[in-house]
This record gives sequence, C-alpha cells and structure tokens, in this order.
Amino acid sequence: MVSLTRTVRNFWRVGFREWWRQLQYIGDAKSGRLVGTDYFGNRYYENLNAEEEIPGRHRWVDFAQHEYNATQIPPEWHSWISHIRKDPPTEDGVMAKMTPPWKAPYYENLTGTRGAYRPYNTVARKIHAWRPVTAPRENSAHGS
Amino acid sequence: MRGFLPRSAQSARIISTSMNANISSARAIRIVWRTYASTTNTTKPAFETPHSQTHQVPHLPETHIKSFGTSKVMAGPQDVPGAAVNPYKDGPSALDKAMTSFLFTELIRGLWIVLEQFFRPPYTIMYPFEKGPLSPRFRGEHALRRYPNGEERCIACKLCEAICPAQAITIESEARQDGSRRTTRYDIDMTKCIYCGFCQEACPVDAIVETQNQEFSTETREELLYNKEKLLANGDRAEAEIAANLHSEHVYR
Repeated sequence: MVSLTRTVRNFWRVGFREWWRQLQYIGDAKSGRLVGTDYFGNRYYENLNAEEEIPGRHRWVDFAQHEYNATQIPPEWHSWISHIRKDPPTEDGVMAKMTPPWKAPYYENLTGTRGAYRPYNTVARKIHAWRPVTAPRENSAHGS
Repeated sequence: MRGFLPRSAQSARIISTSMNANISSARAIRIVWRTYASTTNTTKPAFETPHSQTHQVPHLPETHIKSFGTSKVMAGPQDVPGAAVNPYKDGPSALDKAMTSFLFTELIRGLWIVLEQFFRPPYTIMYPFEKGPLSPRFRGEHALRRYPNGEERCIACKLCEAICPAQAITIESEARQDGSRRTTRYDIDMTKCIYCGFCQEACPVDAIVETQNQEFSTETREELLYNKEKLLANGDRAEAEIAANLHSEHVYR
C-alpha cells in the first residue's frame, strides 16, 4: 500500500495521534504544511516536495466531520484542492477581490436528507381550473 | 535432414509468435534459416554477396518455407532475404531469444516491476481527500450569476434556450415592476443537459455559467430538475470561484 520509508518518515513527523487519524480517514500517512482552515473546520495541507509526495497528491484535506463528504469543501477551497488555482483563498488576491458581499453561506450536497432540493414552479399559474362559482344576477332581482 | 526441415519451420513460427510483437515472423524464419545454413554446410547461400534490388524487405516468408520443404528449388542468393542488410548483427542471437521465450523471463521481469511498485509511494489519488486536477474552464453544475451590486444578470434573451442542443432549458419572462425584463422561469433539466457549454457561450451577460462543481449527484431524479431559485443559489454560493475562474480566462475570451 505504501512505501515503508515514507510511512515511517511521515509517522515520525506527524506523531502517533495524527498518524492514526490519517490511517482512519485517508488511509495513508502524509505530512505537509498546514495551508489553511475553512469555516467548517476542514484543514488543508500541502506538500510540494516531489520526493515526498507524488505530484497530484500534494494537496489534501482533513475533513472536520466524521461523515465526510467531497462536497463539504466550500467553493474557494474547492478551486484550490482541485488544482484550479495556484494559491489558497487565504492568499489569493483575485479570489478575495471577486468575493461579493452578498455571498451566500455554503452548504454541502444535501441529497438524501430532509434538506434536499425539491423542484417547484417559480411561475404564477396561468391556466386555472374551472371554479363553480356563479356570479350574482344584477337586474333580475326586483325587475319583474 | 529433410525431416528436420519442417520442424525447424514450425519452431520458427513458435518463436515468432512468442517473441516481441515487433519481430515479424519473416525475421524469425530467417534466423532459423541462418542456423540451418550454418550447420549443414551444403549449398551455402551467399549471405555476403550483395543482394539484388528486388527484395529489399522480405515480405513473403511462406514462399521460402515452401522452397525448404520441397528442396527442388533451393533458395538462390537472389532469393535469400536479408542478404544485403542483416538487421540482427547487433542484436541478440537466436539462442538468446529462444531462452527468453522458453524460460519465461518476461514473467519474471513483470513480477519484478510489480515488486518495485510495492516499495514506491502509491499514485492512487485518495478521492475525497485528494482531488484530481480540474480546468478553470471545466463545465459542471450550472449557476445563474448576479452583478456585483446583487442584481441578477439574466435578461431573458433566451439565447441559451435557443442554442441548447438537448433543449434542456425552459425560460419564461415577464416585465418586472421597474420595467426591466427578467425571467420568471429558468428551468434546466440536468438529466437532459449534455454539458456542452453552449449556454454560457451564448449568454451575452455571463449570466448562465457552468461552475467547476461536479459533485452534485442526487438520490432522486427530480432533484436534478433545477429551477431559477436553485440556479441563483448555486451562483450565490460559488460566485467567488466563478468570478476568479472567469478572470483567469478573460485574456482568452
């Protein structure tokens, strides 16, 4: 599964507790620089040394939740961990400049839960069913 | 010796099928022909004489095998393939190739590669924790964007609805109270969508975009029938990423 020297080296660096957590979640011993933490508590790591981490595996996330999910990463960090942007959002000036004040808080993909999206009609109804309401007659009441 | 001949031809075929793919059967047969000619010493074909220009590359090995078998028409110097150019003078000998084939050294070399990979760091991307690279032009889940002041961009021109090859977009529009035309319905059937990106290319105001989110799988089919509110919510959440990616691509657009 892993190379022995790499496992021993990363175990020596991160310590037993973190190594055990990594084995429970990532399934691989990794060590790197803590790049940042998003507002969910997910921690993002990076190791740019190609001798230690295979390029392509040099960015990873340590999810805060036990029931982890790939969509728990907010979009700014998603573009970093998907290697779309070079800099993390904490250091990315363009990303900070493009962030609008009306940005909505992120939530994960809620499918399968009660918070899942259900489609509905956004248009007022144009065709109405016939309603059996009779209009009152106007001039037949006391005319004859 | 005549009884030996067809067997040598058969062994030549066995070698040719079990050797590498780039060694054709004609070349393998020529190897056997050389060994046969060197052992018999009878009517030794003149390999050293320059070959006639008719057969530069031997491509008909079956005719030579026939001439071996019948032995009435012995292959003359002008019919011996490869007499002018010997492509094997620098390569391994036929004995080496036969040993390679019959001792299964390919299997041992393949197993050695597997053993080497066992001691190397794995290439496997552990997906939810590590992700593969995406392009800033990646076409994923759709979103409707807003202007920086919060005004929604879509003006209900219906160009995306017109260009959509899957006809997944449905738009209805009305005039708003301030007189501007906006959509009242902007539905995308994500089960129809083929993610071609024509809608975001057709949009004159960069309203409909395809974000880089590819993790919007659902458990039910109806959750993929997006309406305007859902698309605007996607844009509101991912506006920073969308705008940064559009900014990185603006020099090419």
